[in-house]
Amino acid sequence: MVETKDAQRTTADPGKREFMLDVRTQDMEVNMGPQHPATHGVMRILVRADGEVCTGAQPHLGYLHRCAEKIGENVEWLQYLPYTDRYDYLAAMNNNLGYSMAVEKLMGIEIPRRAMMIRTICAELNRIGSHLIAFGTYGLDIGAFTPFLYMFREREWMMALFEKICGARLTYSYIRIGGVFNDAPPGWLSEVERFCDVFEEKWHEYVDLLMVNHIFVQRTANIGVIPRAMALDFGLTGPMLRGSGVDWDLRRDMPYELYVEIWKSGCFQIPLGKGERGTLGDCWDRSYVRVMEMMESIQIVRWCLGSIASGPVIADIPKTIRVPNGEAYAGIENPRGELGHYVVSDGGKVAIRCRVRGPSFTNLAVLEEILPGALIADTIAIIGSTDIVVGETDR
Amino acid sequence: MGMLERQFEENVLTTKVDWLLNWCRLSSIWPMTFGLACCAIEMMAVGCAHHDIDRFGAGAFRASPRQADLMIVAGTVNFKMAERIKRLYDQMPAPKYVIAMGACATGGGPYYKYGYTVVKGVDRVVPVDVYVAGCPPRPEALLEGLMKLQEKIQQSSIVRRPARTA
Amino acid sequence: MDFRGILDRLQVVGAPGLLGHDLPRPPDPKDKKDKGRGGDPFVWVEPEKLPAFLECCRDDARLSLELLVDLSAVDPSKDDPNLWVVTHLLSLALRHRLEVKCALPKAAATMPSSASVHRGAQWHERECAEMFGITFRGHPDPRHILLPEDWIGFPLRKDYVFPDEYHGISCK
Repeated sequence: MVETKDAQRTTADPGKREFMLDVRTQDMEVNMGPQHPATHGVMRILVRADGEVCTGAQPHLGYLHRCAEKIGENVEWLQYLPYTDRYDYLAAMNNNLGYSMAVEKLMGIEIPRRAMMIRTICAELNRIGSHLIAFGTYGLDIGAFTPFLYMFREREWMMALFEKICGARLTYSYIRIGGVFNDAPPGWLSEVERFCDVFEEKWHEYVDLLMVNHIFVQRTANIGVIPRAMALDFGLTGPMLRGSGVDWDLRRDMPYELYVEIWKSGCFQIPLGKGERGTLGDCWDRSYVRVMEMMESIQIVRWCLGSIASGPVIADIPKTIRVPNGEAYAGIENPRGELGHYVVSDGGKVAIRCRVRGPSFTNLAVLEEILPGALIADTIAIIGSTDIVVGETDR
Repeated sequence: MGMLERQFEENVLTTKVDWLLNWCRLSSIWPMTFGLACCAIEMMAVGCAHHDIDRFGAGAFRASPRQADLMIVAGTVNFKMAERIKRLYDQMPAPKYVIAMGACATGGGPYYKYGYTVVKGVDRVVPVDVYVAGCPPRPEALLEGLMKLQEKIQQSSIVRRPARTA
Repeated sequence: MDFRGILDRLQVVGAPGLLGHDLPRPPDPKDKKDKGRGGDPFVWVEPEKLPAFLECCRDDARLSLELLVDLSAVDPSKDDPNLWVVTHLLSLALRHRLEVKCALPKAAATMPSSASVHRGAQWHERECAEMFGITFRGHPDPRHILLPEDWIGFPLRKDYVFPDEYHGISCK
């Protein structure tokens, strides 16, 4: 894929070949970020480049370090919930869910069924929203502006749905410890059903516009290949892992909430990268996994809409939550990978430790390994395919 | 702001020139892509078709600070980033404006008390013209902030006169 | 496998550094002060043997804990002389998890790095090191990752004092 200097020498005419052998070159260090239109947030990558070819890459983080873990040790259990929204701000419902599940595991409480249904609907809708942004901004990085505008059309509708249920567009704090904050307003569930119907049609537009677009395929296939062994060594999860053909999804393999039933009903599949357009584990495969997952999330939402019944939406827990002594880990399938919350309690109102295992942090480390050897333009494509959110990388 | 600010004695031409210059500036404020955190997503929503910042003339987001008029600081500023913000602000040519978008940029936000690396407001680093409240502010709130900035630009003048106290 | 099965297997293969285990238990009715312990079971491992232990877990076919999910630390309290270094492992083939804990004295917080066993541990260890002041011997790149290079103090320790100012910007 990468043209080395030797290849260039053979294509040039013999007269020019002599001249190029005399040119002394030196690697140049180029700073990408922290302010950069295509780094998906404030991240800095120090790229060492030999002309147009990247020979070394060093990501620098910490430009959005907001001390979430220290805050977890100083505020009460329920007061920490808004902070969980803000690390992966594109999938805030999933973050709330992960934290709530860890605390509920330690408290040993059972969540009412209707609450679990609504939680699943919200989490999957948020997954669609997050993948839409991943897809739209990836197109923007590559140079395609239209998919970005198209995806915001559906995302605005999704955000309007969330606004109706909890009042916020981006950082919800809706999924609480014990259930959800309040019940869905009348008419909300039928509007979600209408959203699913319309989205299924529009999904084909996204595939036609970008995924099978010849230029997009050329820019993303055979680039940033992550083989299976490398993926496991780095601890990658989510679409990064499934794009390399590794069949692992926490919703099926270590199910939580209602996913045991949902998987048994056979309504959704786990899309995997197959190396259709290039090599297995390249950027196109990861984008393909995300786009296919949007459709699968719609099927999960439909199942929930079909099976939902009335009932309480929050468990009977005291206003001031005191979590029993102990520690628990709960990992859920975030749009970016496995989001883990490890909470340690001594029986009080405040956590001893609230460790957040952000998938973007772990997924980002692989850049040190796959960026060298790529052209500078390809580095943008590779960074975009990791779909990181710097709020989660830095916490 | 700018080389022409408060350079001239007042006369009949200056009001017309004032009006024209200000109208040109406020109708084409080009922001820099400077989304830091969650507010950046709402800034992106403002840029898209539903809320459309382009009808205010501000739709051309420039990646380079040297080509931008406005820096919308959208998100939390921490110490590591503060030095870069100062550098980017210095790189912008005058007249330049700063909107502090969101609770974090205004005063530290929810990270005010226990955030050891969070700067409690971007106005400790760069001078801010408009503060937009919210966490994150709705896109309409950001548009209102932009309109407030446009009103502020309307007040600037090339005439040399003492500062208003009202 | 459930935790009992994993523990038995660890004992059978003679996993290096295995000290013991801790199971969740209800509060002791005879002891009023005993709060009991809820949540997940874990194993205690000697800090010096952690890389060898992780390698054994990864390579054994019946354990197959190939994915390092998380490596972090906990400061249980100001009075506790130890830090806990907590590692979470995941097996894709066998669908089980394992939590591994090492007790590291605060006065001598140094242990060997697991970066040679799991490449993903590199960044987790960098974060642990800057937040808790743990030195991972043999780490290929022990720079600060999230905090600025010249940050003073270890923020996630319980005795951390918040700074007053940094590079001329006030912290108040």
